[in-house]
Amino acid sequence: MSPLIQLPAALLGSLGFGALFNLHGRKLAFAALGGLLSWSVYLAVAQLTDSPYVCAFIASVSLTLYAEAMARIHRTPVTVFLVTAAVPLIPGAGLYRSASALMLKHMDAFAEQGSYTLLFAASMSAGVTLTTLLFQLALTAMRRRHPAR
Amino acid sequence: MNREEAEKVLYCAMSIGEQLLTCGAEVSRVEDTIRRICTAYGATRVDVFSITSSIVTTMFGGDFESVTESRRVLSMRNDFNKLDELNQLSRYICSTLPDPEEIPGRLRRIAEGRSYSFSQQLLVYALVSGSFAVFFGGDWKDMLVSAAIGVLLKCLEAFIRRGSVNGLFTALLCSSAGGLLSHAAVALRLGSHADLISIGNIMLFIPGVMFTNSLRDLFSGDTITGLIRFSESLLLAVIVALGFTFAGFLF
Repeated sequence: MSPLIQLPAALLGSLGFGALFNLHGRKLAFAALGGLLSWSVYLAVAQLTDSPYVCAFIASVSLTLYAEAMARIHRTPVTVFLVTAAVPLIPGAGLYRSASALMLKHMDAFAEQGSYTLLFAASMSAGVTLTTLLFQLALTAMRRRHPAR
Repeated sequence: MNREEAEKVLYCAMSIGEQLLTCGAEVSRVEDTIRRICTAYGATRVDVFSITSSIVTTMFGGDFESVTESRRVLSMRNDFNKLDELNQLSRYICSTLPDPEEIPGRLRRIAEGRSYSFSQQLLVYALVSGSFAVFFGGDWKDMLVSAAIGVLLKCLEAFIRRGSVNGLFTALLCSSAGGLLSHAAVALRLGSHADLISIGNIMLFIPGVMFTNSLRDLFSGDTITGLIRFSESLLLAVIVALGFTFAGFLF
């Protein structure tokens, strides 16, 4: 599938999820941009490596940094931007295909799609949690150095 | 602060914590908010424990010894607009220490805050379904069919919710209906790929958000909450996936 059509689709998908979670105005716009960013990073990394897991990891690292930055700019909880930006990375297709293979008793396809879905979700979550933890660590270190701020 | 005032402060702090939890805040944020508010009003020690479905707080202070309150939290519905406003309210409370009497009024105003109307939500369901059908490789016919099914599923969900059956059962019914409709649409030659149409719809029901949050909870030390959300999201994912693919048997 051409990536050119995937990018607007990712943007609109994240926009939709932002609206599902009752975001409005400027926050909704930046939440949608987060989705666009995470998929752009995914596609860019895909040029360099064949592993979708590496792509998912790096994309989720960048979207977490984006969410942490946006949360501080808009003075709102990180979850707001994190969750909406992560939407294009949710392996919905993999989940569907593994369940479908299971239903039709295509066990080889089930093993392949199932492990893809699990690993994809795992690398995405690893990127998000790792970045969150490192970010918190860095913030604490900075506060200790400049206690006045 | 005497005992009566302490009870009032704790009641307000707990109401804010409960609302935060309901609209999708992390447990650590809920605990932190309650602790900050109580401390701001002069408690010497505050012990808060929260999981996804319950909050318990004991607050200690010189004049009132200790006050304890617990809340049972039943529903969860992500609402980031409310989350944001509650967050601002708690900042306002901690920095200006308003009379606790005025907080319930503010909470009520937040609860009545703006949200999208039902017809706008229908549009949003169509938008999400259509976008992801294309995202995963569908053509324009798949996009239109997926969007239409998204609208139908929203109506179905709202209808089932009114009978207030449990969430897993609602998800099972909606996803089975989604799978059936997509196969029917392809059989009628309205759409080209039943799987891609369903994948567009599945994104609406998949607990991807809950899954990511559960791992964040686990790694920030809220093990119980993390495990609860983790198992809930896995269960829901399996149910949704089986619901959508079930129709593959019949066609």
